Amino acid sequence: MDEIYRSELMEIYKDPIFRGQIDNPSVSLEKHNQFCGDHLQLFLQIENKVIKDAKFSGEMCFVSLVGADLLLAEIVGKTTTQAKKIDQTKLLEIINLNLSTSRIACATLILKALHEALDKYARQSHG
Amino acid sequence: MLNVQNIKNDFPIFKHYPELVYLDNAATSHKPQVVIDALVDFYARQNANVHRGVYELSELASQAYDLARQKVADFLVARSNKEIIFTKGTTEALNLIAQAYAQSNLSRGDEVLVADFEHHSNFLPWQAVCQKTGAVLKLLQSNELGLITDEELQSKLTTKTKIVALAHASNVLGTINDLKKIAKTVHQSGAVLVVDGAQAIPHLSVNVQDLDCDFYAFSGHKMLAPMGIGALYVKEEILSEMQPYQLGGGMIESVALQETIWANYPEKFEAGTPNVAGALALATAIDYLKQISLESIRKHEIKLSQYLLATLKSIGKVKLLGEAPAEMRTGLVSFMVEGIHAHDLSDYLAKNNLALRAGFHCAMPLHQSRQCGATLRASYYLYNTQEDLEILLANLAKAVSYYG
Repeated sequence: MDEIYRSELMEIYKDPIFRGQIDNPSVSLEKHNQFCGDHLQLFLQIENKVIKDAKFSGEMCFVSLVGADLLLAEIVGKTTTQAKKIDQTKLLEIINLNLSTSRIACATLILKALHEALDKYARQSHG
Repeated sequence: MLNVQNIKNDFPIFKHYPELVYLDNAATSHKPQVVIDALVDFYARQNANVHRGVYELSELASQAYDLARQKVADFLVARSNKEIIFTKGTTEALNLIAQAYAQSNLSRGDEVLVADFEHHSNFLPWQAVCQKTGAVLKLLQSNELGLITDEELQSKLTTKTKIVALAHASNVLGTINDLKKIAKTVHQSGAVLVVDGAQAIPHLSVNVQDLDCDFYAFSGHKMLAPMGIGALYVKEEILSEMQPYQLGGGMIESVALQETIWANYPEKFEAGTPNVAGALALATAIDYLKQISLESIRKHEIKLSQYLLATLKSIGKVKLLGEAPAEMRTGLVSFMVEGIHAHDLSDYLAKNNLALRAGFHCAMPLHQSRQCGATLRASYYLYNTQEDLEILLANLAKAVSYYG
């Protein structure tokens, strides 16, 4: 047994497309995983209700990093309403790994960040 | 020298999982067949409630329960079996002290000292009782090795310090503290010493009279006994002044509408039907450990620690958490690999039949004070071999190149 993850996920882990930062983002949000101390920061660039760009940064494990990269790939180009519809089931489907309960929390850290960031953005735009 | 293969044969888990490399003994140990049999035998042959009936079965169960208490008292070298309270485990024992002793003995402005490496179970009860009473919770900083030095203790002890609560050995660093010396210093300043013995008792010969601690709490399940049984030693002069915190059956002398008279200790701290089967199985685990000899187990663990400490360094990027040498450790090493998350490593190892704990090990204050993220912990016991550690090292090296 040498491979525990599919090779395309390993490629994402070694060179994630959406890792980075956005200067002057429409909204940004930091999220912690209390279970292991991981933390990530999410940046969103939103124009006319469409997510034009998204980036993440932080100290993360394989599962949360891959989850973050795949989720951001999914939401860029979508409207905020469409992005909000992505739930845990959908994200786990995209990641498609056999995850233990404790590691589901890793995979979905980015999703919690996304939902909170979109709520924060909605409050900002209305305020 | 331990005959590890013979010992391993006593543990049925290894028959069911022959490939298992179990290195999570600091979380819980496996159980030998004799301990499992003790549980089954009680329910099959002796089952009755204790201290209730006058019929033969109840008498037998009561006698067996009393004998188990005596065995625990002897194991800890307590003066009397009256100083032993059976609990669910260390956590319940520490909460018992916080509620039945600390709450009525702490006043506003008093101080409670705990170490930075405490398990949450020896941290949260003190935090809560301090919040209730207005006492102040203060932290003792461990040194590089993971020890609380006499200087550190002296500098934090004041006339206001009423309680010092300390792990005999840290569950993350593995370091064994010099309790005898600590107890002396604590007593000189007029405070009492509470010891969380969960990590020490499976590995060391504990003599509460020699250590001169006031409270000693431990769990059975880390020392080959079942989960859900443990004990608390309390020095009799303190115990005799303590009031019960859980009320119910089995702990009263007489009950009337206006006035109730408690039973004598230790029964008055064991409200409700106790875990008799667990107590009997704990006594059996003690017999088993004594028969193998704690001294030989200790020598075996030190050898394993020496090997692991020396070889871990050969894997690049490995950083140890706690620098104590083998002789000062219970039987564990915590470490991290730079650039690779502990949970990713433990996932890789788990897929190769290695059972290790990754995370904060219920000691977040320690990880905060040492500014590190999740760590991996390899903890071993009498049935582990050097070969287990070789398998760990080989797979660690593979994992490092896989993620690296």
